[in-house]
Amino acid sequence: MLSACPPEILTRIADLELVARIIVEGLVSGLHRSPFHGYSAEFSQYRHYQPGDDLKYVDWKLVARTDRVYTKQFRETTNMAAGLVIDTSASMAFGSKLRYSTIVAAALAYVISRQGDAIGLMASADGREVFRPARAGRPHLSRVLGALSALTAHGDWNAREAIGRAAQRLKRRGMLIVLSDFYDNDDTIFAELRRASRIGHEIIMFQLMSREELEFPYSCDLEFADLETGQKVTVNADIAGPAYKDAIAAFWNGVARAPHPKGFSTRSSRPTRRPSVLCGVS
Amino acid sequence: MSVAAPILVHLLAHRRAKPMPFPTLRFIPPTRLAAIRRRALEDVLLLVVRAGILTAAVAALAGPLLLTPARRASWNNRVVRAIVTTPGTQVSDAGAFRSQRFEANSIPEAIHRAVAWLESSPPARHEVIIAAPLTIGSITDRDLAAVPAAIGIRFERTGTVPPARTIEGRRIMSPTGTRRRILTLDHGETSVREASDTASAAWPIDVVSRPESRHFVDAAIAAALSERVWEPPSDRRVEFVVVSDEDGATSPSPDIQPIRSPWMADALAAIARDAELQAEASHTTSGLAGRFARAPWRPIVRTSGGQPIASAAASSQSPQRLVIVVPAAATRHLVTPLLLRSLANSLAPVTDAAADEIVPIPETRLRAWARQAGPPAVPKADTIDRDDRRWLWAIALLLIAAESWLRRPRRATSDAIQAEEATRVA
Repeated sequence: MLSACPPEILTRIADLELVARIIVEGLVSGLHRSPFHGYSAEFSQYRHYQPGDDLKYVDWKLVARTDRVYTKQFRETTNMAAGLVIDTSASMAFGSKLRYSTIVAAALAYVISRQGDAIGLMASADGREVFRPARAGRPHLSRVLGALSALTAHGDWNAREAIGRAAQRLKRRGMLIVLSDFYDNDDTIFAELRRASRIGHEIIMFQLMSREELEFPYSCDLEFADLETGQKVTVNADIAGPAYKDAIAAFWNGVARAPHPKGFSTRSSRPTRRPSVLCGVS
Repeated sequence: MSVAAPILVHLLAHRRAKPMPFPTLRFIPPTRLAAIRRRALEDVLLLVVRAGILTAAVAALAGPLLLTPARRASWNNRVVRAIVTTPGTQVSDAGAFRSQRFEANSIPEAIHRAVAWLESSPPARHEVIIAAPLTIGSITDRDLAAVPAAIGIRFERTGTVPPARTIEGRRIMSPTGTRRRILTLDHGETSVREASDTASAAWPIDVVSRPESRHFVDAAIAAALSERVWEPPSDRRVEFVVVSDEDGATSPSPDIQPIRSPWMADALAAIARDAELQAEASHTTSGLAGRFARAPWRPIVRTSGGQPIASAAASSQSPQRLVIVVPAAATRHLVTPLLLRSLANSLAPVTDAAADEIVPIPETRLRAWARQAGPPAVPKADTIDRDDRRWLWAIALLLIAAESWLRRPRRATSDAIQAEEATRVA
């Protein structure tokens, strides 16, 4: 995700809708077409050309036939619904992963809603399920962004149940966007995602990790405490570092490069800079 | 102790690994631990420097004083001087490290204050200079004995001694009344003249006797007065009881008690030293009954046979009244007027006119009293004018600078890490 505004400033902006808008405006200005396909419009009627109409909607064939200038008018139809599934387990509280996750989700929601498509949300806050059905329109976008702002990282995340329910609640074929670190039971998550794919949904996975998780910049004896389970282990970080980095790299690549069925769009990205949160898009 | 304690606590305290929250422990392999169990000191040099800072600071707060030979010599080369003078006297205190004047009309009182001031002064040779006319009586051995031996004493004779002085001497009781004695003291020569006094003193001896003995006693009193006796203080009275032969053994004794008053004891001692009285008493044969020879009576004059002619005791009713008992037969003898004369003279206190003379203290005496100031002793903590704490503070500052310099690489590393953290982006 690129934006014209420096990331360290974006993270300090509390208004999620503003952040999303800044990101999307920066993104859209650099692209020639929307990255999210699925938008379409249905021809509705002709009307006489009026000064100021966009010339690309002029039916030139009709001009040739009738010597009169007519402008096409379309009726926009939403033919896609997207559901955001946010991992709010305690592991997402490490660094600014949850914050980054909500920013990415907000930007995606803004883009999708701006195209006229429906956007929904499945997450949890303080142990309670947060669900927003997939709907179009700006008021609903505000509700989704408001729910994103209230998300907190807490406890563990039942990924299988969350993904399954989100997939079921998308009433028509759509897009399922999952943002997580995918620490929780990989096989179960992928199985559920494959099931959603078989239903007909398009799956987009965002794997988020902090730099400390990937590079393990620790030394001396440290007592590591699992944020989700509370378990503790005391190790010498200098000795554990190399083995840890190999294992986490294998995990990272495993998620990015695992064979997935059709309907999974996979793309892995390695950081060229040194952001605190590295985002791999699968 | 203050330095060792934090080090010991640091070493003995259980060193626990720093807790580090982490998203998941899946990928962290178990390893052996490095330094938790060891008690080894790290960075010994930094520890030594820090301990040195603490030690120097604690020592500086204590205000230590190093007694070096150079310091002792510097103390010995300076003088703290207390100048005792009478009002209006000017004395130079040049060359003194510190000096203070103590003026008073009473030299001993000023010496006392001067000594107290010297004992609270910084270490140095201490001396007292007594600048006064230095007349006999103004300073005594006892006054100078209160000056500690380490404090030197010097005398400077200032002012002038008055050429002559007149004082009132003792008063005399005579047949013609009381007379005043006037003494003129003039450079060691004393002259006396008498003058009549309008106020006549009362005869201090009250006589208690039978009428037949009374005129003998009055004659004895007149005879004693003709000898001119000293006038006693008005609060000293004597009851002279003449006991007849008939009632000497049976008459009730006056209400008396043993003698405890010093002036009464002095009077009886003076009577006992009157050789003329004692000699005349030895020629007398009649004395008092046996009970007047026993306590609380004290025989003061005896016959040749040892029988008391006169016995004394103190009155119980009037503690300042001396009771003398004599037999009636003795009133016809010379012993009675001699006893009355001796008794009257012994009641008056003896004075020494020489003590009132204004005579300068001889130089030989002053030289005997004078002495050099002794070397300064180990001073009290609150008298030290300058100790060595400033060197210790300087050492502490140098060590602080060294400590900062030793921590320089660590700070650079820490700054680099913080700069790296600041450039991270979300």
